[in-house]
Amino acid sequence: MTTLRLRAASLALGGEPLFAPLDLAVASGEVVSIRGESGSGKSSLLAWICGVLPPVFTATGTVQIDADDITTLPTEQRGIGILFQDDLLFPHLSVGGNLGFGLQRGAGALRRDERHALIDAALESVGLAGLAARDPATLSGGQRARVALLRVLLSGPRAVLLDEPFSKLDPRTRAQVRALVFERCRAAGVPTLLVTHDANDVAAAGGPMIELSLP
Amino acid sequence: MTKRALLAAVLLLVLLPVAVGLGGTILPALSSEPWRELFATPGLARAITLTLFTGIASAVISLGLAHLLLAVYSARLARERLRAAMLPLLATPHLALAIGVALLLAPSGWLLRALSPWLTGFTQPPDWATIQDPWGLSLVLGLVLKETPFLVLALGSALTQVPSERLMLQARTLGYRPFKSWCVAVAPLLQRQIRLPFAAVVAFGLGNVDVAIALGPSNPPTLAILLWQWFTDPDLSRRALAAAGAVMLTGLTALALWALHALAARVRRLWLRHATSGRRHDSTVAATLFANSIGALLLATGLLALIALVLRSLARAWRFPEFLPRSIDMNSWSNALATLTPALEGSVGLALLTAFVALLVSLWAAETLRPLPQWRTRLAALLFVPLIVPQFGFLYGLQVALSALRIEGTWTAMLLTHLLFVLPYVFAFVVAAHTALDARLPIVARSLGASPTATFAKVTLPLLARTSLQALALGFAVSLALLLPSLFAGAGRFITFATEAAATMTSGSLRSAAVYGSAQALLPLLGFAAAALAGALVFRRRAGVPA
Repeated sequence: MTTLRLRAASLALGGEPLFAPLDLAVASGEVVSIRGESGSGKSSLLAWICGVLPPVFTATGTVQIDADDITTLPTEQRGIGILFQDDLLFPHLSVGGNLGFGLQRGAGALRRDERHALIDAALESVGLAGLAARDPATLSGGQRARVALLRVLLSGPRAVLLDEPFSKLDPRTRAQVRALVFERCRAAGVPTLLVTHDANDVAAAGGPMIELSLP
Repeated sequence: MTKRALLAAVLLLVLLPVAVGLGGTILPALSSEPWRELFATPGLARAITLTLFTGIASAVISLGLAHLLLAVYSARLARERLRAAMLPLLATPHLALAIGVALLLAPSGWLLRALSPWLTGFTQPPDWATIQDPWGLSLVLGLVLKETPFLVLALGSALTQVPSERLMLQARTLGYRPFKSWCVAVAPLLQRQIRLPFAAVVAFGLGNVDVAIALGPSNPPTLAILLWQWFTDPDLSRRALAAAGAVMLTGLTALALWALHALAARVRRLWLRHATSGRRHDSTVAATLFANSIGALLLATGLLALIALVLRSLARAWRFPEFLPRSIDMNSWSNALATLTPALEGSVGLALLTAFVALLVSLWAAETLRPLPQWRTRLAALLFVPLIVPQFGFLYGLQVALSALRIEGTWTAMLLTHLLFVLPYVFAFVVAAHTALDARLPIVARSLGASPTATFAKVTLPLLARTSLQALALGFAVSLALLLPSLFAGAGRFITFATEAAATMTSGSLRSAAVYGSAQALLPLLGFAAAALAGALVFRRRAGVPA
């Protein structure tokens, strides 16, 4: 069991706090949604949690995973995976190369053929069997979204952040990808934090919902 | 803060030589003797007038033409074609192009040969001042030929920072035709971004030897040519006089930049008043016709000049009015080979080394400054300083400093000096591509567990592979073109194609000048071609990698 915990988290821009201090715990396999208007600081909150908050912001509070305070750790040591609204597959790597990039942390000691087998099995599990050698640019939006999800999960994250990851998909793909993402995150047992302004996302997430409000 | 310390080191690398150089040039000019001598120079007033006229006219005409061309070719696809068409002119060094234009337009040049004797009746070259005319018009032409493509490129990259297509569409849906849409909605937004490149064009126009040596008037010549004669005079007592002249040229440049800046503000006011008058009619048809004709004329002149240059280097006997030489051979090339070999080593080796170092510094600075975008802009502006201070103003003083350090004429001195001029271009190019990369890609890589170094090596660098290749070709081309920096830092001991072309041009050996000019012109083209080829080969199976 892992828990992602925010304590008295608060962001300020030019001395003005963006929202009231936030306390929050996300348990293993749980999806907590954060809703807020654009400009409410919800994406900046995620940036802070994964350690890439632009220097114009100031932040107070702590981010914890279980008992570990990770507030000041560099991004790569936090073990927090993130999915953005664009799939952001690395365009210079094959589909398999993208997955291998994420796999390195979780399974650095694997042999080459073991890694390939893992990647192939992962692709197959989301209906993309045999696409490992493909150029990501040749995949459809829904396929790319699924590869991006696999890439995050194969990196063995201790928590996953979702930054409106479905908003750019067309309505039909959106429902499928959404269901898949939530199902996989739950199955992997990672605490998952979703920011969105789409009520359907919140309903599908099925977990608690927090409205970001002005201080 | 080690980051800041390293950045400060980069700035020091660029600003210190300029500051030391300026000081070293001013020092010998501090006594009154050289100034008295300077003001006693016959034809000085005329030389100053010529300098100001050719420098300012060429810069203003180039800026106008660049705006006109972009207004007419404002659609993205058309703009890319325009840039591609301008590339050969852009890649050719000033000096080589100027020699080519001289060979094309001289009374005995290719153009009159094409028309003689059947049309003109000439069997001897006429006694016309088609080049090196006393008003400097051919000098203005030569400069416009080089600076227009440069400003097209600079305006084009400034365009990426404004939503030009949406603005154009907005203006057109309000009833403005394309040309006027550009003039009222887009052009005013580019003024800020184009300021530094334009200042560099003005400074180069006022202080260049490269073009004036082939196309400029000779009696009196421009101030820069006078300085060149004094600085290269074996009589060392002329150095103080030359230094005083260099200080004067620097002052004139500052004055011209200030005047143009003040003028630009007034033009802008008038322009905006005109833009907001609400009148819809414009001259799209006339503008298109004019832009197309001028564009074609520039391009044709440039290409014909290059052909004339290569042809002249191969021609054995080429009597007027024969259109083609009666026999061609490689004699001059093989004769020149004796000097070409060190020039090849010097020029090509140095250009490659400079381009490579500039690329490394630029990549590193762009990556370091990712979280500090305002510093990126500041650094780009500061790196432009060596392009805006006239070369004569600080190169002499720099040479004095280098010789005090006992490194003049060495590779170190050449590399440091060339970097001053190569770095601003390479950095601007690299930083634009670096900024255009999706900033979330490295975040994703880090969140997947990659360290900053691994992220740079495995994600950022591969995505900038094509940019890096093009940046290398750009740095290579800029370095090969440098004349005065090679001359001063090399202290006459370091031979490059530029120094040899200029030396043979002044000694009147046209065929040798054509050989060095051709080599100087063809190498950058080869460089760009190699970069394009290699760029097409890397990641050719990955459609999403940026061009």
